[in-house]
Amino acid sequence: MRYAIEVHDLTKYYGDHLAVDHISFDVRQGEIYGFLGPNGAGKSTTQRMLTTLLEPTSGQILIHEHDLARDAYPAKRIMGLVPEESNIYTELTAWDNLIFTAQLYRVPVNQRTARASELLETFGLWENRAVKVENYSKGMRRRLSIAMAIIHQPSLLFLDEPVPGLDAQSARAIREMIRQLNADGTTVFLTTHDIEEANQLCNRVAILNHGKIAAIDTPERLKATFRRVQSVEVALDPEGQMQKDALGALSGVTQLIKAGDKWRLYTEDPSSLVPQIVHYAEENNLRVLHLNTLGPSLEDVFLEITGQEIGSVHHENGEQKMRRGKMRGRK
Amino acid sequence: MNMSINWKRLMDELAQVWTVAVKDIRVYYLQPPMIMFGLALPFFLFFSFSIKRNIGAESGIAQLLAMTTFFMASSAGPVVIPLERRMGTYDRLLAAPMSLASLLIAQTLVGAFFALVTSVVPLLVGVLCLHVAIADTPLLFAGLLLASLAFSTFGLVFGSIPVQSVGSIMMPSTLIRWPLLFISGIFIPLGDMAPWARVLSYLSPLTYAQDVIKTAVSGAGYLNRWLDLGLLLVLLIVFLIPAARLHHRSRVLGY
Repeated sequence: MRYAIEVHDLTKYYGDHLAVDHISFDVRQGEIYGFLGPNGAGKSTTQRMLTTLLEPTSGQILIHEHDLARDAYPAKRIMGLVPEESNIYTELTAWDNLIFTAQLYRVPVNQRTARASELLETFGLWENRAVKVENYSKGMRRRLSIAMAIIHQPSLLFLDEPVPGLDAQSARAIREMIRQLNADGTTVFLTTHDIEEANQLCNRVAILNHGKIAAIDTPERLKATFRRVQSVEVALDPEGQMQKDALGALSGVTQLIKAGDKWRLYTEDPSSLVPQIVHYAEENNLRVLHLNTLGPSLEDVFLEITGQEIGSVHHENGEQKMRRGKMRGRK
Repeated sequence: MNMSINWKRLMDELAQVWTVAVKDIRVYYLQPPMIMFGLALPFFLFFSFSIKRNIGAESGIAQLLAMTTFFMASSAGPVVIPLERRMGTYDRLLAAPMSLASLLIAQTLVGAFFALVTSVVPLLVGVLCLHVAIADTPLLFAGLLLASLAFSTFGLVFGSIPVQSVGSIMMPSTLIRWPLLFISGIFIPLGDMAPWARVLSYLSPLTYAQDVIKTAVSGAGYLNRWLDLGLLLVLLIVFLIPAARLHHRSRVLGY
């Protein structure tokens, strides 16, 4: 087995605060590896250590068998990095940004312009190549940021939260780009708290919680491990809050949440719960509009592992993001 | 084999120094506010320190050249690096396959280049308008070049402090640069100073710059010209050490 990344006993302290706690994992060449975790779990800290931007307190990182502590240079040549916030020189045009990056990564002179043109075409930025980036939308900046990260054709690409904050069209285009890059042979290390994104894209995911790896496996195997978070989804007519206590009291229900006009009843044994729900509906003259048994989603697995309440996973709002930025700035 | 790899690496590093320097010039220096600042500062300094003072044209131009070089070269680092850190673009440079030394050298060269270009303005005014005759032109260029490089690395030390805000750097950098100006022999010639004040003046890198520039312009410096040049060269290298250490500290702290 050939590995793109091998991490052994990696630890990071910020003063007395243990941000990453003796984690070990490996990423195989050619896979899309998802690095999941709630805010503050240590995802970005780990990624910054893997990309040489942050010095580990202890532990070893090998990138394509190159030890970062000994000589990061050969590893840096084969890595591309797309950070959470697009770090582009906004005073320059897209073209100038790409050429600057190509020069920085020593892309041969005779290939620079051809590669920059090809990427601008691929990423739908050709028409705006001469426009200063300060006039670009967030989605355009994100696409340019990815183009800049791959202009030297890295064999390992780090992506930190590539999609949040983008419109649906841009998000889909970026997911497709990630799949295409991977199909072309690039190993992708995807840091995200978007569980569905990881579910759709990743061959394997690692779930990080409180600086420790809580689980590593394929999304499907992780889901299979957590049978107790299976659920039954039901929509009753007429719907009402008065059903809450009755449904919650049914035998085997571990948790009940309202999801739109439906109730989701978590249980280890959906097959014994379904007849109880039907019986309850008949007794109370309710129509069953929708009844479905659901296996555990990756989100359920994530919530189980990280100890968060079901229904609490959501995208960060602006205030949370700003607070997290301040925390990182203080470290 | 190793030799050829190292040679290629060296060539790559030199090319990357050039790439970063050109980018800095385009992004930060060839902007209208910076150009206006660069053209105006020497004249503000000149009027601030020459009005109602009986100084000759040679001394005035020498002082002005030294002050311009000092302020322009040492202003770059404290602004560019924290700004890039805040924008996240500094990560792009740090993650690139180039050494920290190359990055620091690139930023040093840019600051020095800006100071040298700016110092042309007072020099032209002195030569063309005030008819100042330069006593030793090669020495003047050598002095300006070394002073610009040394002051640029001096500014780099402040820029390397692990913060993301330009304001957090400007305060300490201003608090240190102005006292260094006052003790440097710009306003009171080294020969006229009390012995204790002269000892104090030797702590300021500006002392050696203004002395060698004065020697070059008027032929009448206080210290040996080679001592001035040698110390500026030493300071240029010495200032890179804390800059590199502070960068390492930033990598530990996560800035």
